[in-house]
Amino acid sequence: MMDHILSFLVFFPLVAGILGFIVNKDSIRAYGLSVAAIELFASLALWFNFDMSHSGIQFVEQASIVSAFGINYFLGVDGISLFIIIMTTFMTFIALLGLSETPRIKNLIITVLVLEMTMVGVFVALDAILFYLFWELSLVPMLYIIGAWGGPKRIYASIKFFLYTFTGSLIMLVGMIYIAHMYYTLTGQWSFSLMDWYTMTFYDLNVQFWLFMAFFVGFAIKVPMFPFHTWLPYAHGQAPTIGSVILAAVLLKMGTYGFVRFSLPLFPDASVMMMMPIAVISVIMIIYTAMVAYAQEDIKQVVAYSSVSHMGVIVLGTFALNVEGISGSIFLMLSHGIVSGALFMLVGVIYDRRHTKLMSEFGGLASVMPAYATIFGVMLMASVGLPLTIGFVGEFLSLLGFYKVSAPMTVFAGTAIIVGAIYMLSAYKKAFFGPVTNPENAHLSDLNGTEKWALIPLVLVVAWLGVYPKPVLGPIDHSVKALVQFMHDNAVTEKAKAIIPAPLADANKGEDN
Amino acid sequence: MEKYLYIALFAPLVGSLFAAIFGAQPKIKFVGLAASGFLFVSFVSALVLLFEVMATGQAIHVEMMPWIAAGDLYIPFGFVVDQVSAIMMVVVTTVSTIVHIYAIGYMDHDKGFNRFFSWLSAFVFSMMILVMSDNFAGLFIGWEGVGLCSWGLIGFWYHKESATWAANEAFIMNRIADLGMLLGIFLIYWNVGSIQYDAVFAAAPTIANDTLVWIGILLFIGAMGKSAQFPLHPWLADAMEGPTPVSALIHAATMVTAGVYLVIRANPIYVEIPDVGYLIASLGAFVALFAASMALVNRDMKRIIAYSTLSQLGYMFVAAGLGAYWVALFHLMTHAFFKALLFLGAGNVMHAMHDELDPYKMGRLYPIMKGTAILMIIASVALAGIYPLAGFFSKDKILEVAFSGEHYILWGTLWITAGLTAFYSFRLIMLAFFGDTARYKEHGIHPHEAPKFMLVAMSPLALLAIVAGFFEHGFVHFVNAVLPEFEFHTHHVEMILIAVTSLMALGGIAVAILLYRRGRISTKWESTWVYKMLINQYYIPKIYDLIFVKPYGAFSHMMWKNIDMKVVDATVDFIAKTVYSTGEKTHTMQSGNLSVNLRWMVVGVMVLLLAAFVPTLWEFASNFYTQNLHYFGAN
Repeated sequence: MMDHILSFLVFFPLVAGILGFIVNKDSIRAYGLSVAAIELFASLALWFNFDMSHSGIQFVEQASIVSAFGINYFLGVDGISLFIIIMTTFMTFIALLGLSETPRIKNLIITVLVLEMTMVGVFVALDAILFYLFWELSLVPMLYIIGAWGGPKRIYASIKFFLYTFTGSLIMLVGMIYIAHMYYTLTGQWSFSLMDWYTMTFYDLNVQFWLFMAFFVGFAIKVPMFPFHTWLPYAHGQAPTIGSVILAAVLLKMGTYGFVRFSLPLFPDASVMMMMPIAVISVIMIIYTAMVAYAQEDIKQVVAYSSVSHMGVIVLGTFALNVEGISGSIFLMLSHGIVSGALFMLVGVIYDRRHTKLMSEFGGLASVMPAYATIFGVMLMASVGLPLTIGFVGEFLSLLGFYKVSAPMTVFAGTAIIVGAIYMLSAYKKAFFGPVTNPENAHLSDLNGTEKWALIPLVLVVAWLGVYPKPVLGPIDHSVKALVQFMHDNAVTEKAKAIIPAPLADANKGEDN
Repeated sequence: MEKYLYIALFAPLVGSLFAAIFGAQPKIKFVGLAASGFLFVSFVSALVLLFEVMATGQAIHVEMMPWIAAGDLYIPFGFVVDQVSAIMMVVVTTVSTIVHIYAIGYMDHDKGFNRFFSWLSAFVFSMMILVMSDNFAGLFIGWEGVGLCSWGLIGFWYHKESATWAANEAFIMNRIADLGMLLGIFLIYWNVGSIQYDAVFAAAPTIANDTLVWIGILLFIGAMGKSAQFPLHPWLADAMEGPTPVSALIHAATMVTAGVYLVIRANPIYVEIPDVGYLIASLGAFVALFAASMALVNRDMKRIIAYSTLSQLGYMFVAAGLGAYWVALFHLMTHAFFKALLFLGAGNVMHAMHDELDPYKMGRLYPIMKGTAILMIIASVALAGIYPLAGFFSKDKILEVAFSGEHYILWGTLWITAGLTAFYSFRLIMLAFFGDTARYKEHGIHPHEAPKFMLVAMSPLALLAIVAGFFEHGFVHFVNAVLPEFEFHTHHVEMILIAVTSLMALGGIAVAILLYRRGRISTKWESTWVYKMLINQYYIPKIYDLIFVKPYGAFSHMMWKNIDMKVVDATVDFIAKTVYSTGEKTHTMQSGNLSVNLRWMVVGVMVLLLAAFVPTLWEFASNFYTQNLHYFGAN
């Protein structure tokens, strides 16, 4: 079983989704939940069978697809992707659990299951073409979710979403083909295997730079990085709750995961070269979108823009290029997945009741819906990165990591903890505090059973990983150390070697003493 | 002993979680009793630990479990009970227990009774983490935790706009300072490789002086937020929107002294950088005078006491900044007792006056509220620094510290402030309790004395406010096992200094009594610019509103509507539209039919792609061609 667990993880949701067409409409919800639960347990099994002492790729599956061009069916996970996969299956399960009454629910659930396949596929694929395939395929179900279940401007939003991300990824594809061809010129064989690519060193810094940029465009639009971020508020504004949850929790992480999996190890010198420009963009993301979030009137847009702001911290941590920063940014990917997913679900709760998301329509909800207000408050505090919540760990480490690179830049980026508090607290104040002025709000029902079942696990995870992140952070850290060491060794220029530390060498030195 | 450490730390958390279970339910008196009980358990454990540390002279140090480990960074949940934290724990739990019991009466009619105790106990837990942690990250947990609880408690009556506004203001202003602290922690980590106190303090003398100066400043910025030092002070006065027990516990006795605690705790760092210490002391002296001046004219009882707190925090920073750490800690302790007492007394008056806070509307409450009046007078005498009450010993020592270091300007500032302190304290007492007329009658208020058990609950604080000063010698001996000694060079003038300071305080009291013996003074001077400036808090809140709050809102709105929607979004849209319109007349695309749209989208993407990447593809193709000529039959 464990030999093919990754294939199972990828194809089980697809097969189950197709079989879903013959499931009775009344039992489709239970069916979808069961499938998502099995998928979740399978991913947890992955965790329990994961060899924590080993920092490299595990559960490898390899088969040739097009041998002439070196395209392989090549799957594997390490400490970096492991938890992103678990977060994916967990959030899909939770999103389905919290799914409220929807028209054409059968199609929706099947679409979500297909989407789950593509998302898991992205995170397990170690062949560039396979990665690209899943990456592009993930657009289709999300496009369908927004286009078919979205708000009034859904067509515009979905086209925008598609155009942005598709454009970016095509550029990435060009970069991939170029690298495969380089491999061919070096060895006489085509290969899209990431492991093969890792054996190459891009001595020509010009080539390294342009390849970095090709991948960067693809990843940056997905993240989304300023100024390519404007598709996101539209997509969130029109997407149904379940679409927003998955979009924010998982799809955005593909971009930052791509940085860690492709950009950093393949192009260490270009990464060093681009460190500061990317930091500047990150700081703009953090401050600028936080301010835009503050100006919003629609609570869902506040959460949407806050996502961009938090993604800025993640990108910053990644490009700290040291173990603290990268580990922190990966942990922050997980925590942002949990917290922003939870916030979008919470927005969905009030939207289901009032069919509006405008904060001016609310006020005083704390007294009408105390349980809802409490859980929202917990997620708010996790979002602003209060210690002992999941949000603190990653943010702290990301900023700590980048401080080593540039103290002034970290000062600007650190304002995240201020501007984040400003938009979050003011949104909370508008919606939850004050007297109940709108009579429509006076008798709203508090969280129902389904909603509690979906939200309470998220609260528990937020507290658990905030207090005791070690079970997750440990394996991540282990793999990141290997990654950073690899970058150090693989770097061409002395400057890059000086900036990227050699953590494993240091550790050995410590043991010798 | 570890057992007591964990009990002292976690009993408040248990109490908080217990109360939280009933958070949304109507009042259950038992919740208040239980929370107070857990606090008492914590208090007893803290005492046991104090005596243990006293007996052995050894710190108790435990590591509970690891927290964050990444790269070379290792942060455990580690706790240390040494002389300093033992004192802090006892002070915190003493005041907390009393305030909890008092609040059972004070919050009696409030429908958020259970929720209140949950927040209040959570606060104590955070405060215990803050003082007990053995590393800077643990300190930061407590630091943010007390900030959160402060937010929840200032905005406890969340239907009030002013309360929630003040809560957010406090949280955000503190966050600004917290960024400084966070950066200080980063700087420490990258220089020492650890953020454990032991390691950092051991390494402090070896760190380059410039770096150390930055660390000292950044940590102090953190302290400025929590301890509401200028220019981050306005939140403290606004925080008085919270229920009065909150003001007593959080915004007088404990949380606001966290900044002072930080400087005391980090003394091995500050010892190395006396210039930064002097800066801290100067700011402290300035705040002492600045805050006292605002207290002179204010017409809100709680705000007067809040400014007084601010002013006393300034005193503490003078002592800490000048290297007299034990003096700062001593004043922190005595101040906690008498200031909490003063606030709880104010709470009684508020209840009696149906939440009226303006002392001008009170007058002659003494015959009705003898108990409260006596307790508040004790607290005010202690605050004014009159022998033999606690404030005399601690405040006098701070003045001596300033004099001893030949910082005569600081000394003079504090000396004048001592007079002002005595004056505004007794102005309040005279206005509220004495005078010729009972002005509250004009406002149709029928005051009543607080329930006896609330007065009894306050009495231990009164006792401590009277006797705490006599523990000075024992205190010095005890804490100086871990804090550096401070050499006084004032023995020859000690008596003169005491006399001069005491005269100043007595003078302040005398002036207040004389001026306000008949009630309020003539209103003529209220039209002078000095009065207007003081009553408007030097216009600082207005200036902040004008230069920070409003522009931030306007700028944010502008960024959204104009930049994000018009410039950024429209630019990219424009490119896409251009591509579309070259493909086909646009009307067919607005059909709203998804499949038609999808088709156009693909067309659009292809065109866009070609337009943008023809050069790239060309280059790639030509490279491909030149490098693979043999495939194409060349050669």
